[in-house]
Amino acid sequence: MNDDVEHPDLHSRKFPVREDMAYQLKVWRFERCGWYMLVLLVVLGLAGLFSRGLLSTRDVRSEDGRVRVQYEMFHRNGSTNSMNISVSGVPESTVELELAGEILEGFSIETLQPEPARARSSGQGIRLWLQTDTQGQADLFITLRGDGLGLFHSRIVLPGTNDVRLAQFIFP
Amino acid sequence: MDSVLRAAAMYVALMVLFKIAGRRSLAELTTFDFVLLMMIGEATQQALLGDDFSITNAILVIVTLIAIDVGLSLLKQRSSWASRLIDGEPTIIVENGKLLRERLRHARLVEADVMEAARSSQGIEKLEEIKFAIIERNGKISIIAREE
Repeated sequence: MNDDVEHPDLHSRKFPVREDMAYQLKVWRFERCGWYMLVLLVVLGLAGLFSRGLLSTRDVRSEDGRVRVQYEMFHRNGSTNSMNISVSGVPESTVELELAGEILEGFSIETLQPEPARARSSGQGIRLWLQTDTQGQADLFITLRGDGLGLFHSRIVLPGTNDVRLAQFIFP
Repeated sequence: MDSVLRAAAMYVALMVLFKIAGRRSLAELTTFDFVLLMMIGEATQQALLGDDFSITNAILVIVTLIAIDVGLSLLKQRSSWASRLIDGEPTIIVENGKLLRERLRHARLVEADVMEAARSSQGIEKLEEIKFAIIERNGKISIIAREE
């Protein structure tokens, strides 16, 4: 900024207040940079960096496509987001699905629909038995509430296919 | 533990954000500015209490905020550098009837803002009647009239 101390307007006065214009110019420059940071934060927020948006929503499948998980990568502590898991298997039977890893350390499951045929804890996570429909599809609608802070790695495990790995981050 | 951390984090975050917003943002200029400040207060309250509405949590948060505030005012007393950093300094914007336009530009002010302050505080009608106009640390514009 070449107008720093060149312009007579910007010289420090002594009366009636003692001024330090060099410092005041720094303050004004900080205000301007701060404004750019605020705009950047707004844009990132709109893009979904702080949950719910393009940067955050994920739709992943296992290699053979039998498991599909739609989830949010970024969460905020205390707020809820949904996670949908779709599983395909043999029609009119039960499929075993495991939510493994750190998911239950960082999140609490507020709702789980439809109710699984059977449920059991399994290490850090839980194991669910879902009833498939006439086409062999079973969908699970979960509402997750972020209770922890930081990064949590988890896996959705369906026996017979590779694990679907998830990484989720909870902002304070 | 998280109550104290929430309160401290919100205190610091608000201080930084209001520093970025500049001095005039706290001066309660129009009704809209007032409502905006209230909305900020509402948003802050949610973050401070979370879903815990117990008396203990409320008192803990208030105690933390007051403790930090008093601590900072003690620090400001001891160190003029800290006082300048936290509170800022007054800046002259009109000198002997002339606007210091470069300063007005940086402070995001216009002549109308100065004249409004002149009329409401001193009953001054013209710019030439102002000896000094100073934007204070709290964002208010104080006017010193020219002696006749």
